[in-house]
Amino acid sequence: MARVYNWQIGREMSYWYPEHRPQKQFAAVFDTNKCIACQTCTLACKTTWTSGRGQEYMLWNNVETKPYGSYPLAWDLNLLKTLDGGKWNGGRYEGRTIFESAEAGERVLGWRPESQDYAYPNVGEDDCAGQVDAGAYMNSPHMAWFYYLARICNHCTHPACLASCPRGSIYKRPEDGIVLVDQSRCRGYQECVKACPYKKVFFNPMTGTSEKCIACYPKIEQGIQPQCFVNCIGKIRMAGFINKPQNARPDNPIDYLVHIKKVALPLYPQFGLEPNVYYIPPIHVPTPFTRQMFGPGVDAAVKTYRNATNDPDLAALLCLFGSSEMMMPQFRRQGDVISGIDAHGNTVVRVPVNEPVHVRPAYDRLYQIQRTNCP
Amino acid sequence: MRTRVLVMVPVLAALHGCRQVAPTANEVVALRVAQMPSAPGDGVWNTTSEYTAKLLPQDLVDPRLMQSSTQEVRVRALTNGSELALRLSWLDPQVNDLPGPGRFVDGCAIQIPRTIEANPPDPQMGQAGRPAGIAFWRADWQAAMNGRKDDIRSIYPNAAVDHYPFQAQSLEPGSTVQQEMAMRYAPAAAVGNRRVGPRRSPVEDMIAEEPGTLSPDPAGSSRGKGERTADGWSVMIVRRAPEGWGPKTRTQIAFAV
Ligand code: SF4
Ligand code: SF4
Repeated sequence: MARVYNWQIGREMSYWYPEHRPQKQFAAVFDTNKCIACQTCTLACKTTWTSGRGQEYMLWNNVETKPYGSYPLAWDLNLLKTLDGGKWNGGRYEGRTIFESAEAGERVLGWRPESQDYAYPNVGEDDCAGQVDAGAYMNSPHMAWFYYLARICNHCTHPACLASCPRGSIYKRPEDGIVLVDQSRCRGYQECVKACPYKKVFFNPMTGTSEKCIACYPKIEQGIQPQCFVNCIGKIRMAGFINKPQNARPDNPIDYLVHIKKVALPLYPQFGLEPNVYYIPPIHVPTPFTRQMFGPGVDAAVKTYRNATNDPDLAALLCLFGSSEMMMPQFRRQGDVISGIDAHGNTVVRVPVNEPVHVRPAYDRLYQIQRTNCP
Repeated sequence: MRTRVLVMVPVLAALHGCRQVAPTANEVVALRVAQMPSAPGDGVWNTTSEYTAKLLPQDLVDPRLMQSSTQEVRVRALTNGSELALRLSWLDPQVNDLPGPGRFVDGCAIQIPRTIEANPPDPQMGQAGRPAGIAFWRADWQAAMNGRKDDIRSIYPNAAVDHYPFQAQSLEPGSTVQQEMAMRYAPAAAVGNRRVGPRRSPVEDMIAEEPGTLSPDPAGSSRGKGERTADGWSVMIVRRAPEGWGPKTRTQIAFAV
């Protein structure tokens, strides 16, 4: 094993290959507070990429209801159970990553999902139980809360899928850091399925190969955001490129949210992959839960997010989410308007931070008609 | 579940002319016959001796197999001078012939040098610059050859399929447009990966130059057949004999289950 630096855990760690960062790294920020679990993203992806034979139960994008929902079943719990984890010392993780916990003869600590683990993608996770009889009530030992966690492949900086493949069939594109399975080389050994802690590589029984999210790279190559981003009803997603913390640019939306404001956090950073989808944590969830899921930065991130109305740049940037299908590697706020700027320096969209409010009188004098105002 | 990584052990093979058959042997002896067998159950297999090869776990490359599920394989061999037929039999009470996540189908492989030489390539997947030929049989491919349909309900009988775009009513079945649409949702097929069905043979010919380099051999012509026995599998693989093959030549073969 080689030694690589992982800034998310604040230290060097063991990895199968030497450190080799791409020229640019695809990254994304998801604001969990805005997701409504409509699953439009899931279907946008499904109809675009996984409508083939053997892909029937394959969801490169899925949205699960936390704390109980998961796809595939218990993807997170199964690993957390075996990983000697959880020890943070400030920003430094002192437990062992999945690479450092690999058993003898293995490259990564993993587990194998089985067919039935894919059979319940958010079926009934957040359904109400039907009508409640008058007077009935329930005493729950837990606080009542849940939130939606939208998930795609994290196009990790140190991917476990890539490290685990004995054939070298998985590669990370040098131009944008997108992680792909070479469909001509893969022979379906499923080592990647076992190794990916996020379970974002899927075995296709009809083609006999493993398949995964490709971050819609044909769109990214044209400066357009992936399908699950542009179709997101809740406008929770922003795609872009991330720099290393020491090279963070304040006008890069991802750098700003992740490195400067530290309001968007990686999913299970303790696994050690340096995943590149960052989450603004849900602000109403008890932090012991979100801390183990997003790391020790959760409390500060929630505080920053709650204070966004007093932070003009942050408030403005949150308004840029879902405002254009184009990638916007740069943003600029002028007064009450935020502009998204493409890779060539062209402004692709201008968004007002505060929409003007019009109050319409209930009685329309012009048409002499009474209208009902909706609250 | 079967071993998921190939397990190999080198053994010696020798070619003899007609000779007295021994029930067991300390090397694989390919007996010359006029008519090659067509199935693993053919009576002609009873005329040749049987060698029992101990299988070693694949522990050369990570991920390694720490414990193998199959301890040994019984091997018989026949030849007609130009082709070599091998029959591999092993114990396995459970049939695993359905592919899927976390499922690994039964299978076996033989590795044979492409030419007869004093110092053949490494028995475990050949070596760099010295490719070895490998013939690989799998139970799911055999099931397909035996008539199992190449669709999701053959693997998961209760699978729910809403719609395949390439089965849209507007697309004439078999038309170019329809086939292009089907390829769009099967990237491995689109790039010619031979792991994808439908299969024409239960045996695939491969070349390897060291672990991790296994690739299809376009010149391969192996054929074969696997059958269930009372307590396991019996699989016959027939392939072109190595160059320089003749009476009393010896070479090194490796087996994997
Ligand atoms: S999330 Fe999983 S599949 Fe995606 S790059 Fe990371 S390890 Fe690989
Ligand atoms: S489309 Fe957006 S809002 Fe809807 S489930 Fe997906 S991430 Fe959530």
